[in-house]
Amino acid sequence: MTAALSPVPLAEGVRPERVKKPGLLRRIYKHRADYLYVLPAIGVMLLVIAYPIYDTIYLSFLNLPPNLAFEDAEFTGFNNYARILQAESFHEATWNTVVWTVFSTFIAFVLGFGAALALNGAFLGQGLLRGILLVPYVISAVAAAYVWRWIFHSDFGVIGAITVGLGLTARPINFLDSTSTVMASLILVNVWKEFPFAMIMMLAGLQTVPEQLMRAAKVDGASAWNRFWHVTFPHVRHVAVVTILLLLVANLNGFTIPYVMTGGGPAGASEIWITHIYQIAFGRIRFGLASAYSVILFIIMMVLGYFYVRALTRGDERTPS
Amino acid sequence: MQGFDAKMRAFHRRSLLGCVISAPLLIATGALAQGSKTGIDINKWTPEYIRSIAGTETYDTAAECGKVVPTDYKGRLTYWWVGPTQAQPQIDHEMDKQFWEAFAKTYPNIQVTKQNLDYNDMLNKLRTAALGRAAPMVARLPILWGVEFAAKGQLMEFGPKDVGYSTDEFWPGAIKSVTWKNKTYGVPTNNETMALIWNANIFKEAGLDPEKPPQTWADVVAYSKQIKEKTGKNGYGLVARVNAGNTPFRFMPQLWAMGGGALDEAEDNPTYKQIMVNNPGSKQALQQVVDMYVRDKSVPTSALTNTQNQNQDPFIAGQLAMMISHPTEYAVMLDRAAKATGEDKKMADQVVSGMRYGLIPQGDKRRAVVFGGSNVHVFRPDLVEGGLDLNAAKAFVCFSTGPEWSTRYHWITSNPGNIRGFKTKAMKERLEQIKYLDVTTSMLPAGVPFPVLPQSTEIMNIIVPTMMQNALTGKMPVPEAADLAAKQIKELMNEF
Repeated sequence: MTAALSPVPLAEGVRPERVKKPGLLRRIYKHRADYLYVLPAIGVMLLVIAYPIYDTIYLSFLNLPPNLAFEDAEFTGFNNYARILQAESFHEATWNTVVWTVFSTFIAFVLGFGAALALNGAFLGQGLLRGILLVPYVISAVAAAYVWRWIFHSDFGVIGAITVGLGLTARPINFLDSTSTVMASLILVNVWKEFPFAMIMMLAGLQTVPEQLMRAAKVDGASAWNRFWHVTFPHVRHVAVVTILLLLVANLNGFTIPYVMTGGGPAGASEIWITHIYQIAFGRIRFGLASAYSVILFIIMMVLGYFYVRALTRGDERTPS
Repeated sequence: MQGFDAKMRAFHRRSLLGCVISAPLLIATGALAQGSKTGIDINKWTPEYIRSIAGTETYDTAAECGKVVPTDYKGRLTYWWVGPTQAQPQIDHEMDKQFWEAFAKTYPNIQVTKQNLDYNDMLNKLRTAALGRAAPMVARLPILWGVEFAAKGQLMEFGPKDVGYSTDEFWPGAIKSVTWKNKTYGVPTNNETMALIWNANIFKEAGLDPEKPPQTWADVVAYSKQIKEKTGKNGYGLVARVNAGNTPFRFMPQLWAMGGGALDEAEDNPTYKQIMVNNPGSKQALQQVVDMYVRDKSVPTSALTNTQNQNQDPFIAGQLAMMISHPTEYAVMLDRAAKATGEDKKMADQVVSGMRYGLIPQGDKRRAVVFGGSNVHVFRPDLVEGGLDLNAAKAFVCFSTGPEWSTRYHWITSNPGNIRGFKTKAMKERLEQIKYLDVTTSMLPAGVPFPVLPQSTEIMNIIVPTMMQNALTGKMPVPEAADLAAKQIKELMNEF
């Protein structure tokens, strides 16, 4: 099977003939119908994505007057970028963003993968359990954030009442009003909300593992770990990479939970890039500064996006056309 | 005085005590000079005077406004405001309904498209809408916000004279809040000051005199500590959330009382150029809240995420002893007590009967309270979605800021912005029905308006609460938190 796909070896001394690739315009002309089909979508994307990106980049080089009159805007070059990079709040928000993104992604992925492995086998109530575990994912993020805010409330929260009632703590645990516990509390809620997504993705990946290979490994006496590591994992590796990248992007953009639950507080302890940008733009009306901040975040997202596309298209180039 | 006493008999006896104590106390503590900041003369605006003028005049709103814009005028109006929410008592909703019905009856041919927005959402929405040329024609904004829009050039020059009223009909402090660079950009709708509210039952339980509120902010700290130690209940309802209006309304009076301020807004002749947020008085006030939150743990732990709404539940449940709030709080508590059942109902009724109002405590330098309220503004025609119908806007502003509706609309929440409102029958009814209205009204002369600067919103809603959070969480010591706030205010002032 493999031999059939290998290139035919050339006789000694024969130089391979160079195939001249058609020019770009010729190729476009050749596929003109295809381009026409996607033209409306490209038009919409230019309008709703490309133009705002251009405008944000443009704004990031300006210092707007208090009345935000563009005719009085002052071109300040990279001044906004320099201000952001020098600001202590940026360093604080960056650290918070790293903690928020890495821990949320890692824990949600591990839990989701674990749940997927557990739910992959056939057992009674499997469908029901899958449905229940999906509930956090389908609940509105705003509603979930409000409910969790009350569950964690430092004076009347359910958890605090239970721990005090059981005599475990003298006072309700301070989840959201302490700089040392607030981020962990938010990550917990985020993981609760996101792990079903990882579970579904990985469950789909697990369905592609050939049953024959698993049976063969069992017959050969492979342990459960060896079966997972040498048979299951290689098959779901690409799905895992895509899932992790999607979770990273979602968490870097994760606005709802931190904003609704704490608004970035207390004392900036849960301020992440995206909530900080919102605060600068709409709380303090510094559009130039917020735009520069957004551009920095955009560049990071593009890097992640590159890896995401690479992960998605891996193997495509080897596929014979 | 006899008449005054007779009327007061309708009130709770404790309220009378608070009222009788309040007026001389104010004079004795130098509040007379503070009246100059709001233009309210304490010698004149005593609870007795307020009662004596109530119900002495009648007004025909339709006739007055008909002179400005004929009542058969046909047009359209778009209007945004911070209106009643689900957390507010039923009477607020009823008054709102009555107001719109009355306006529709007076101007049946003006079609109104209105949006009632939440306080925490409205500012950002309005900023964005004005930038996107999708602003409403008219917006009623809390007193702190308007000057920012005026400074940005987004408001139309528009004042009381445009709707047939004279500026003398409004408090000078309120007129100042709609003035930017000597031009008027709005009409005051309502003005109020808050008071200290306490639960006499908890005071008694803690071994304090149930009828004697704390006289100074130092007393508040001591009372709060004693209450926590003796009863396990929270003493004072501290609010320190960032970007929530409740925070500066409760903390700035303490800062001002101790001789501090964000700028020099509490001084006799404010220039708004001197930064005072890190002076010894401000630091002392900040230290007091740190003492309550960190050292004594006598205030709600959730103070950093709470708004005043989250103080209402523990108060009605008898778990919070003191808080600062509007006259409306009594109605809120009555509302909540009416909805409670079983044991909760018993407790709520006890709390309502033990509820007391007193003057906001004084500090080393003065007694102070935020001169609050709202103003109504008209947006520049080119920024209004669909264009401005100036006559419709005038008709509406005239109707809502006149003596009748500026009194009726803010039935339990505030006081009329139009001073003639104090002479209406509605005011007389309010004084008879609303407990403690006289106490909150007698705080008016101690009112300090927020700095009339476009930077005020950011200073009061972001910089000052962040300073509190930095100190309360232990992120930095009090002097450092205050110095950082001063640095941020300085940078902000230089930017504009």
